[in-house]
Amino acid sequence: MSLDPVQVMKGQEAAATPAPTTSNGDSKGSWESSKDVYEHMGSTKKPRSEPVRRVRKVEGGIFFPKPVNAVTIAVSSRVLFRTEKEQKVYDQMGVEEYLRYQVEHENEPFAPGPAFPFVKALEAVNTRLRELYPESEELFDIVLVTYNHAHVGVRLINTINYHNLFIERFCMTGGTNPIGYLKAWQTNLYLSADAEKVKEALAEGIAAATMFMSEKQTEVSETQLRVAFDGDAVLFSDESERIFKAHGLDKFFEHERENENTLLDHGPLKGFLETLGKLQKKFYAKGQRLNCPIRTYLVTARSAASSGIRALKTLRAWGLETDEALFLAGAPKGPMLEKIRPHIYFDDQMFHVEGAAEMGTIAAHVPYGIAQKHKKSSNPSK
Amino acid sequence: MSEIKPADIVADSAIDPGEEKDWAAAKAFFDSLKTKTPRPPKPRYAVTIAVSSRTLFNMTEERKIYEEEGVEKYVCHQVEHEHEPLKPGVAFPFVKALMTVNARLRELYPESEELFDIVLMTNNHAQVGVRLINSINHYDLTIERFCMTGGQSPIGYLKAYMTNLYLSKDSEKVQEAIEEGIAAATMFSAAMQNQLCDHQLRVAFDGDAVLFSDESEIIVKKHGLDTFFEHEKEFENKPLAQGPLKCFLEALGKLQRKFYAKNERLNCPIRTFLVTARSAASSGARVLKTLRSWGLEIDEALFLAGAPKGPLLQKIQPHIFFDDQMFHIEGAKELGTIAAHVPYGIGQKYHKGKLIEQPGGKK
Repeated sequence: MSLDPVQVMKGQEAAATPAPTTSNGDSKGSWESSKDVYEHMGSTKKPRSEPVRRVRKVEGGIFFPKPVNAVTIAVSSRVLFRTEKEQKVYDQMGVEEYLRYQVEHENEPFAPGPAFPFVKALEAVNTRLRELYPESEELFDIVLVTYNHAHVGVRLINTINYHNLFIERFCMTGGTNPIGYLKAWQTNLYLSADAEKVKEALAEGIAAATMFMSEKQTEVSETQLRVAFDGDAVLFSDESERIFKAHGLDKFFEHERENENTLLDHGPLKGFLETLGKLQKKFYAKGQRLNCPIRTYLVTARSAASSGIRALKTLRAWGLETDEALFLAGAPKGPMLEKIRPHIYFDDQMFHVEGAAEMGTIAAHVPYGIAQKHKKSSNPSK
Repeated sequence: MSEIKPADIVADSAIDPGEEKDWAAAKAFFDSLKTKTPRPPKPRYAVTIAVSSRTLFNMTEERKIYEEEGVEKYVCHQVEHEHEPLKPGVAFPFVKALMTVNARLRELYPESEELFDIVLMTNNHAQVGVRLINSINHYDLTIERFCMTGGQSPIGYLKAYMTNLYLSKDSEKVQEAIEEGIAAATMFSAAMQNQLCDHQLRVAFDGDAVLFSDESEIIVKKHGLDTFFEHEKEFENKPLAQGPLKCFLEALGKLQRKFYAKNERLNCPIRTFLVTARSAASSGARVLKTLRSWGLEIDEALFLAGAPKGPLLQKIQPHIFFDDQMFHIEGAKELGTIAAHVPYGIGQKYHKGKLIEQPGGKK
């Protein structure tokens, strides 16, 4: 298996590297205009003393797609930014003090949180999509869905502008459960720090995962969105996991071999992989397969020869692809993920999520399936 | 009927002191009467909501008779069916919710007059009054104040009642009211209706041209989104001018604070929502800062950046949603939300973003 070398954007240079020779004659023109857009956005590496309100140009492109056409990613404020200090103020001193603190520190931007690189990468993909399909509304749309009160809104807006993000849709629920709003936004993926909310979302049929802040963070690509999925109980249902847990490995292998041609049932994140695939195909259609800004990975503890076929056949039957498939047969996922450097890695078992986080991978827990009743580690990470 | 204040009597020098004492005594007696049913609050303390009979009750059939067969037949029909209560109308859930809030307020503040007060303001003929009263009693509503104007404009009465909000089906009356500085909106019935909360009043507001003036809307329509974003960024710290419904939000906020004062924040029976088509990062800060500078809070803020409001309103299930653009009202109606149109500002000249060619007509 070959992994692409990590492309880390330094300044603006990487964006302007010439397109491969297979692209059509129009590519040069579109690269020039995209370079202009990057320059207007401003570099994220320049140090700032106070939040600078940049004005994003939105005419001449689709920046506000209708939720029904777009791939909507809902993030909470706690995963987009680091809000531990404020959280402590809330827990220890109550809501009035918390609001006062937030208003006082309004002009201090938050530091990026675990979902920040993911959101940045989504925007990079959007820029590429707009170049190729200027009229299409099939873009990523990021909605901030937060329990927070509207008072905190100004600080969140200042932070978003400071970091040059494009998040224009907000749902500040002031304490109401945000789950109902997720459906109204036709959310394709919901990321939160609160496992209860994530479980509720999953119960409603919305792909969701809990994100954790790890102390160590490896650098991730700024030009290619990389999403890694576990297999069982994430892309697929947990049926096989049940057999494994109940009857052991041998029975599991037998069962998989016998049912090789029976499709596995789908899991909570299958829909999200599907939407990524749909966007990928748009790039392929324009001859951009080698340069596609979305890359998906299957990283499963399954054994290839003994139980891998069923997984691959299932994906094929669903018409889905993953760009890379790693069968680990129980080997630790940490080192592999460190090499892949995904912007997000979905797994249903906290054991794996913790292992990944230890090595600096941004991991998200999908609280679904039988594995939730068997915890290998008793202390959840932050 | 507004109560006669002692000051008015003193001003009239024709009354002799004996009569004056009688009036004062009568008033004192009246004021001290204890009744089991709660007394309506004085208009200057209360939050007065004026509703028309057609918004409170569903009078479409009766209306048809009036339009097709004339006023005599209409009055006859109403008198004949006097004992049949009318069906609930589009403002009915809203009024019921107001009563629920009043009940909670009375529990916490038994002596206070800061309550909702509902006035029925209708063009109807006095003969129809009986049927209206019967209907009101049938549904156990507390509407003690009536204004049957028999065709006259209600504006003067609205002012006399210090009306905080006027709801009607007649957009001309609503426009008049807005021009006179009274918060008003035209109500539209939805085809189907969502289940509404029965213990919490939920009111949703649009931002521009409803809570705020239409100054920003004018910039968008004339110069486009990019200029609008630049303008909002430049004037981020300058509060927007107020819109027609700002004072109603203020009145709601005042009542909300009474609940907070008694530690009922988590259980407050009034909840307000801002549902705006503005973009959060590019133009949202000015809105939030303006609300803050007015000392107003809003419980939930939804910045849609152009996404359709219908599905979100369906989730919120407000008892009433105020917007200045018919386009959004229609979207809300389609998904079962009770929507009220505020005919104010430049949005009236546009439909779905395009200038309407109107030869000086209304809207």
